[in-house]
Amino acid sequence: MDPITFVLVFFLPTLAGRATDPSPGFFHTKEEARTMECVRMSQTEVHEREPARVPEPPPRGARTPSDVLVCKRRYLSPGERPARDEGILSNLRAEVSAIVQAGSALGEPSTVWHVDAFYPEPAVAQKIAVAARTELVERGKKVSDQVPVLAAGDLSVLGHLLPQEQYPLACARAFAEGALAAQEALLGVMIVDAREAQLHAGVCLEGKWRWLR
Amino acid sequence: MAVAAMTAARRRAGASAALGAFLVSATALAGADASATDAERLQVETLRAEIASQLQLQAYDLVDELVYGWTQRPPFGEPTPVLLADVSVPVGFGSGLQALLENHFASVILKNARSSVVLAHCPMCTQLVVHSGARGTVVARGIDAPETLAAAGGLSGSRHALFLDFEVEGSALVLRARITSLEKSLPIVFARTLSTSTASPALLRSPERLKSADEARQEYLDALQGRSPLSFPIRLGVRIYGRGNNQVLAPPFPWLSGGVEAALTQARAWTASFLVGGNWMPGLGYGLMGQARLNRLLTGEVASLTRPDLYAFVGLAVLSISGNAALTFRSDIPTLAELQAAALGTELHTAFGAVQLGLELRAKNRVGVGAMVEWLPTITGAPMIGDYWSLGPIHFQSFGAEVTFCF
Repeated sequence: MDPITFVLVFFLPTLAGRATDPSPGFFHTKEEARTMECVRMSQTEVHEREPARVPEPPPRGARTPSDVLVCKRRYLSPGERPARDEGILSNLRAEVSAIVQAGSALGEPSTVWHVDAFYPEPAVAQKIAVAARTELVERGKKVSDQVPVLAAGDLSVLGHLLPQEQYPLACARAFAEGALAAQEALLGVMIVDAREAQLHAGVCLEGKWRWLR
Repeated sequence: MAVAAMTAARRRAGASAALGAFLVSATALAGADASATDAERLQVETLRAEIASQLQLQAYDLVDELVYGWTQRPPFGEPTPVLLADVSVPVGFGSGLQALLENHFASVILKNARSSVVLAHCPMCTQLVVHSGARGTVVARGIDAPETLAAAGGLSGSRHALFLDFEVEGSALVLRARITSLEKSLPIVFARTLSTSTASPALLRSPERLKSADEARQEYLDALQGRSPLSFPIRLGVRIYGRGNNQVLAPPFPWLSGGVEAALTQARAWTASFLVGGNWMPGLGYGLMGQARLNRLLTGEVASLTRPDLYAFVGLAVLSISGNAALTFRSDIPTLAELQAAALGTELHTAFGAVQLGLELRAKNRVGVGAMVEWLPTITGAPMIGDYWSLGPIHFQSFGAEVTFCF
């Protein structure tokens, strides 16, 4: 039997099995591997979910419990969305959850929360604000869909300040103008430098601005 | 320009992200890609359409789960008109996906009256409205200025607005749903986050009989586990033998066989079968056959319920040929006495073994199409049988094609 036939007959099943391995190698480039997100789970757990794809765990008495790497392709490959947007959106749930957890410790149970996000891309800003509002409601807070409004003159002045000064001043102006009442709080989520992909946040409560992160 | 677009969509004239308007302009304008060619844009659009088609089922799954949750724990005590204010799709996706999701949501909600959510039509709610009063001029979407909408009589009886927000976060699709009461302070009365996960495939549920994710998964498991390890194939095939030394071609031999096939693993990665069969050719005689095969799945680790599977197999067969056709497999030229005996009705007979190697394409373990080659180790000098393919001492003398129906 010539070598090529030998390989085809005896190693084709093995090669086919390797094709499903997500790690870079003969079948997958590094770029393809980067599009996968994987979690490691016990074979028992995965077998319960996918009995046709993952065989039963070895019988009792096997020395080491086996595990399974469950992988799923990311919906969007790297580079399809702007890197900063992708960085923010990929971790949006975890980031917003951490921010809301820190912010919701402030205020009273009766405090009504407003949320606004300050991000250069309006569509992404909307996603951030929606995520924060939803998270606050799920934590039992009273939340409004309204956004506090400042006068055009205030905006004109604020536009000439550094971010570290803008938000405290804007908070004070919103409280002074009545855009935010005493029992109302504003959770602001933002980036302070256009080059960063890290969300910052602060809370405006009774005219005072507190940075959360 | 970016500032203007954003402010128009918010509550009052210039009433957008009041604190952050100053952050917006420069970077947003810089984000516009002026250098992309038409071909690149077309390529991106094609790619996005492909992704959207994959995303659609997961998004449907999340909508189903949301409505199922409402049927179990209705957000309102009685049927309440709610207008679908906005469906926002993941950043980078277009209005096509948005329209699909709106239609699917409407379809599911109409078929599940227990959810207590009654869809209302409110064209003014999603349009920009302008209202001038003592405090100034208000320009906003109707749902963002309910008092203006109420003054205009545009609420159509609905006092609640539903917002569905989908976003792609890595390999997960996240749905954030919220219902806002259309009063002046716009309080959110319901909010829920639903997410797909890496470890859970999409569940395709019928809108008429929505089930919980657990129930749908159990149904899927029942379907899989209900798949019997035994099936009963009926196979129709034909064998064609290689042209012999004297360029005489043996007649093709059709075979009809039936038997049993067993899955050796739950995933049907290995299967084995045993079949018996026969043939009859007028004027040439008849034959009997028994064959056993071991099949190995080549396309993946598990047989698919949704696409064809390719198996490789090795097999052993024993064939018995009676009648004039048996002369085909003789190693020597028949003698005059043998021909005379055949003419007088004495039946000729031969039996031989075969080793099979082949491929079979199976669709949902119901229909299969296969091809194989056979090595007849005991047929070495038959003048009517030649070789198709030789691998050292192994000579494949027969080529077969077959169709299998499994029951």
